[in-house]
Amino acid sequence: MDVVTSNSMTQTPTAPLVQRPNVVAVGTIVWLGSEVMFFAGLFAIYFTLRSTSPELWSTETGHLNVPFATVNTLILVSSSFTCQFGVFAAERLQARATGWKPTQWGMVEWFFLTYVLGALFVSGQVWEYSNLVQDGITLSSSAYGSAFYLTTGFHALHVTAGLFTFLLMIGRAFGVKNFGHREATSAIVVSYYWHFVDVVWIGLFLVIYVLK
Amino acid sequence: MRANINVFWILAGFFILADAVYVFWSLVSYGKVEWVGTLGIALGAILGAFLAFYLGRVHGAQGGELPEDMTDSNIDDGDPEMGFYSPWSWWPIVLGGSLAIFFAGLAVGTWICFIGVSLILIAIIGWTYEYYRGFFAR
Repeated sequence: MDVVTSNSMTQTPTAPLVQRPNVVAVGTIVWLGSEVMFFAGLFAIYFTLRSTSPELWSTETGHLNVPFATVNTLILVSSSFTCQFGVFAAERLQARATGWKPTQWGMVEWFFLTYVLGALFVSGQVWEYSNLVQDGITLSSSAYGSAFYLTTGFHALHVTAGLFTFLLMIGRAFGVKNFGHREATSAIVVSYYWHFVDVVWIGLFLVIYVLK
Repeated sequence: MRANINVFWILAGFFILADAVYVFWSLVSYGKVEWVGTLGIALGAILGAFLAFYLGRVHGAQGGELPEDMTDSNIDDGDPEMGFYSPWSWWPIVLGGSLAIFFAGLAVGTWICFIGVSLILIAIIGWTYEYYRGFFAR
């Protein structure tokens, strides 16, 4: 048989040996991309109202407690770092601490710390809201109130949802027999979300408290 | 995936260019920066750059091309383990139904929202822990 004209098997010369991307991680990033545009809509509301009633902005922004908001921002930013340390622990597949030192902490301890910092941030916002309501700025008081509470409120809802997912992740770490890659993937995508919410807050802080 | 990455970088570049034109045009026409569109278009650029950057990182980490990105691969080359998908889970439809109740509450009467929120919490917890308890616990 000199010439073979057909072959029942087509062989690839080089079998592709590639690491398939993690669909959960890529899907989360695409969803966060859509969240970027959701907050773009909120920023558009804010700037539209700001351009139509600039006199409101010149009076109402005086009620903002900028030093307090700065401290609150620092708390949220630091929670991003503790969250990332939790992810490093999850990538080591280490759910629980092996010692009292932070270098020996597992994902659970770091995520608890992140939860506390995030909860402090939301509590700080509640306190700030109550002060603003005492000053007469409510959701329906003026265009400024609407813009302020819509933007920061939707962000606070995101932070609250993030806190809830941290609890779910901690519960999983306690519930699972062997902390594996599935749990680590969940921890990583929760951290993506948390970093995203953090960056959005930095944008909101710059627009609402610095730029006014 | 190379094509996807390039498309998103091109989109990001286009939005940056469009944003520059927008700022210039509003400065010429009105003498001030119009923030709504400027920020909106800029966030469009961020959307493109964000996805392009992340897909680039993923593409770099996978160490080669996927079969679906190669012109000379066969269908069965791209038959890997895609991930874990529950074949019989009822939780997604529970979550969908609870969200429907929640949004119906927004339209009809706020008191329904409270029922919706509690059902949403039950659905999310049930879905998250579906494979962490009972017969199929990990």
